[in-house]
Amino acid sequence: MQNVLAYLTLFFTVLAMQAQTDTSTINVDSAPTKYQQGMQKAFQLWQENKSWEAANVFERIATAEPDNWLPPYYVAQINVINSFTEKDGIKLKAQLDKAQDFINDATAISKDNPDLLVLQAQLYTAWIVFDGQQYGMTYSAKASELYNKALVLAPNNPRMILAKAEWDMGGAKYFGQSIEPYCKDIQRAIDLFATFKPAGEFYPTYGEERAKQIQAESCK
Amino acid sequence: MKISVIVFLILLFPSFLLAQTTVSGTVTDNKGMPILGANVYLEGAYDGASSDDNGKFSFETSEIGTQILTVSYVSFETFKLTDDVSKMKNLKIVLRDDVNSLETVTISAGSFSAGDNSKISVLKPLDIVTTASALGDFVGALQTLPGTTTVAEDGRLFVRGGDANETQIFIDGIRVFTPYSPTTDYIPTRGRYSPFLFDGITFSTGGYSAEYGQALSSVLLLNTIDEPDQEKTDIAIMTVGAGLGHTEKWKKSSLSLNTSYINLAPYIAILPDRNDWQKPFETASGEAVFRQKIGDGLLKIYGAFDTSNFALTQEDINQPEGVRFKLNNQNFYTNASYSQMLNDNWSIFAGGSYTYENTKVGIDETAIKDVENSAHLKLKLKKHFSNRFKLDFGAEQFITDFNENYDEPNFAAKLGFNNNISVAFTEADIIFSRKMALKLGVRGEYGELFKEFTLSPRASFAYKTGKSSQLSLAYGDFFQQPENEILKFTNDLEAERAQHYIMNYQYAANNRIFRAEVYRKKYNNLVSYNDEFPDVNSTFTNDGNGYAQGLDIFWRDNKSIKNVDYWVSYSYLDTERKYKNYPIEATPNFANTHNLSVVAKYWIDDWKSQIGFSYQYGSGRTYTDLNQPGFLQGKTEGYNSVSLNWAYLLSQQKILYFSINNAFAFRNVNGYQYANTPDANGNFARRELRPAADQFFFVGFFWTISDDGKDNQLDNL
Repeated sequence: MQNVLAYLTLFFTVLAMQAQTDTSTINVDSAPTKYQQGMQKAFQLWQENKSWEAANVFERIATAEPDNWLPPYYVAQINVINSFTEKDGIKLKAQLDKAQDFINDATAISKDNPDLLVLQAQLYTAWIVFDGQQYGMTYSAKASELYNKALVLAPNNPRMILAKAEWDMGGAKYFGQSIEPYCKDIQRAIDLFATFKPAGEFYPTYGEERAKQIQAESCK
Repeated sequence: MKISVIVFLILLFPSFLLAQTTVSGTVTDNKGMPILGANVYLEGAYDGASSDDNGKFSFETSEIGTQILTVSYVSFETFKLTDDVSKMKNLKIVLRDDVNSLETVTISAGSFSAGDNSKISVLKPLDIVTTASALGDFVGALQTLPGTTTVAEDGRLFVRGGDANETQIFIDGIRVFTPYSPTTDYIPTRGRYSPFLFDGITFSTGGYSAEYGQALSSVLLLNTIDEPDQEKTDIAIMTVGAGLGHTEKWKKSSLSLNTSYINLAPYIAILPDRNDWQKPFETASGEAVFRQKIGDGLLKIYGAFDTSNFALTQEDINQPEGVRFKLNNQNFYTNASYSQMLNDNWSIFAGGSYTYENTKVGIDETAIKDVENSAHLKLKLKKHFSNRFKLDFGAEQFITDFNENYDEPNFAAKLGFNNNISVAFTEADIIFSRKMALKLGVRGEYGELFKEFTLSPRASFAYKTGKSSQLSLAYGDFFQQPENEILKFTNDLEAERAQHYIMNYQYAANNRIFRAEVYRKKYNNLVSYNDEFPDVNSTFTNDGNGYAQGLDIFWRDNKSIKNVDYWVSYSYLDTERKYKNYPIEATPNFANTHNLSVVAKYWIDDWKSQIGFSYQYGSGRTYTDLNQPGFLQGKTEGYNSVSLNWAYLLSQQKILYFSINNAFAFRNVNGYQYANTPDANGNFARRELRPAADQFFFVGFFWTISDDGKDNQLDNL
C-alpha cells in the first residue's frame, strides 16, 4: 500500500512548504502592539528560513496570548512542515507530538476551525509520507474525513476547496479516473482566491499559487 | 561626580533608563552537551530568546519581580524556574530527557503489540487481515508469531507448551469467556470477532501485567476503535457467504454495525471434503459498537451475537458407520466500559461484560446441553505522579454459572457449578531514565469455589543496551482455575499454577526488527484424574506438574527488498507435563519442537495488487502408538503448508480477493486414531487424522461506499 498512499501525500509537502509566503505585508496604522511586533518578527524569521526560531517566537507569544489560536497554530504548522522532510523516526515523532499539543491548544481556543482541521490532516499526512505502509490506511481515512469536515464548515473558503480537491485528485489519478471534477473545484478556488480576504490580521492566506500550479500541471 | 557616572551609564546603555534586566545562562542536556535552539522565555511576557550553538542565551526584559522562566525544546521535558528576574543570570539549565520519546526503553519481554504509534509494533493493523494463511481471522495472523504452536486441526492459540485454555482474550480490558466458535474434532475453529472493529492488539506470550489473570500462559488484548474515521457502508460477497457493515457518526457518538452470514453448503457441494455433512456449517452473526463521549470521558458498548449450526458424520475407526455429530450454538457477548481523565493526575476505568452461551451437541444418541452465564466486572484507577512514575490499582470480579444436561438413552445427569473469583491488583511503572524502566505488580485472587486465596507477584525490567537495542527480563506467578469440563464434576481442587522466567533481546532500526527471547515456565498443581475421560466418578487431584522452555526468534524487514515486507518466526520448544490422565511426564500432542513461519507481502504497483505468501512448518507432534510400549512416544511427520493470496484494487473502493490455503497440497497428518481392541494378530489398527480438506479456496468481492470515496476494505481482508 506504500505507493498508493505516497502519491496522495507528496503534494502536501509542496503545499505546506508554501504555507507562509505572503504575510509580510501588514498595515500598521497606529503604533504596533507587542503582539503585532512579535508576530511580525516571527514571520520575518520564517522568511529568512529560520523556521525553528520563528516557532520559538510563536510559542512565546502563545503563552502571552492565551485566547488567540494563531500563535499555537503557527507553532504546530512549522513543526508539521519540517516533519515532511524528516527521515529520523524519533525526531519525527517528537516534532509531531509537539505539533499535536499545539493543535490541541489552538482547538481548545477555537473549536470547529477549518484551518486547524486542515493542519491536523497535514499532520497525519506527515506520518503517511514517513511510512505509508504502517500509517497509510488509518491516517488517510482520518485525513479524508478532516478535509470533508473543513469544507462543510467553510464551503466557500478557497483553501478548503483546494485542500480537498488536491487530496481527491491524487487518488483519482492513481486509479486512472477522471480528474475533471477536481479541476473544476480548483478553478473555483482560484476564482475565490481573487477576492479572498483573511478574517483578520495574521490569519492564514496561503494557497493561491499552489492552486495555479496544480491547474497548470494537471488541468490543461 | 555621581551625576556624571549616571549620565555616562545612560549614554552607554540606553536601556538602563527603562530598568531592563538581562536574563542569561546556558542550556545543556544531562550529559553537559549544549542544546541549540531551545526556547527560553518568561511565561506570559513576550521576552525570550533561542539558545545558540554553545547553548548560551541572553535577553533583556522590562518585567520585574517574580517571574516564571520556561525552557522548552523538542524531545526534552520543559523546564520551569520561578524566581525574581534579577536573579536569573548565568543560569545553568539542564534539560531532562522526555521519557515519552520513542528513544525510551519499553518493556518488551513477552509481548507483541500491533498498531500502536508510540511503541515498536511487531505487527501492523493491516497484517491481521492481509496475512495469507489467516483468512481474516485475527487468531490466524497471530499464529505466525513465535511462541505459538501449529495445531492446524484446532485453530485456537497454543502458546509455549500450554494448551488452548491457558490463553485468555480480553476486549477493551474486559474478559471474553467464549472467544471461539464451537466446533467438533479435527475441524479448526475461528475467532468469533471480526478484526475490523479493533485498532490495537497486544499479544503476550508470558510475563504479562498484574492487571490480567486467570491465564497460565498468555493473554490477547483487543481494543475497539475509539472513534471511527467516517460514515461508510461495507458490502462483502464471498464464496462462503456475505457480509454487511455500516458506520454512522453523530456529534458526540458513533455506531458501527457489522453482520455476516456464512454457509459452507455451496462450497462443499462443489468441493466435497472428507466429512459426510448432513448440514454444512452455517452461521449468522452481528456485532455492534456504540461510542459516546461524555464530557472528557468515553463510554463504549460492544455487543456481539452469533448463532451457528452444523451436522455431520465423522469417520471413526471403532464405528464403521461413523460418528454422527451435530451442534447448535447461540452466543451473546456484551461489554461496556467507561474511561475518563478525572484531572491531570487521575484517571478511571470501569467496565463489565456479560456472556450467555447455549450449546446443544448431539453425538450419536447422546444429547448434551450446556448453558453458560458469565460476567466480569472491573474498576481501575490510575495515578500519574509524573512521566516517570505511575501507579495503577483496581479490583475485579469474575462470575460464572455453568449448567449441563447430559442425556443418553439409559443415563441422564445434571451437572454444573457456580464460581466467583474476587481480585485486587496493583502495579507501578517506574521509568528511571530513557535507558531503564521497571514494572512491579501484585495480584491477589480469592476463588469462592475452592475457598482459596492466591497471590501472584509480577515484575519486568528493561534496559537499553544501545541506540536501537534493549534487553528485558520478566518474572511472574500465574494462577488459573481448571476449565469448565473439570469444574462441572468437582469443586474439591485448587487453582493451577505457572511461573514464567523470560529474557528478551530486541533490536529495532530502519524498519527492521529482530527479537530473541528465551524462557522457562514451570507448571504446578495441574489437575489430573484417573479415568480416560473425566466423569462424576473420577478422582481429581492437583498433583500434575510440568515445564516448558525454549527460544523464540522473530525477524521482520520491510526495507531491504523494494515493495516487499516479510517476517520470519522460529520457535524452539522443549516441554513435558504430567496432567489429566497421563501416566508419566510426556510431551503433549499439542506441542512440538520446531515451528517456523515465513510471511511475505509484495505490492505490485502496476497491477494495483498485493500478493501475499505464507509458509508454516511445524515439526511432528506426539501420539501414543498402541502397538509399542509407552505413552505419547510416537511422532507424526512434520506439518507443511503454503498459502497464497491476491488482493486486487478494481478501483479505490472495490477490491477483488483470492486466496488459497495449502497451495501445493502437502499431505498433512495431524495424528492417529487407534482401534480400541487389537485384531487377531494382536495388532491395533489405526487411521490417519487428516484435515477435512487439504486445501481451501476463497474468492471475495469487497465494496465500500463512503462520502469521500476513498476508504476501502483492504483492512478487512
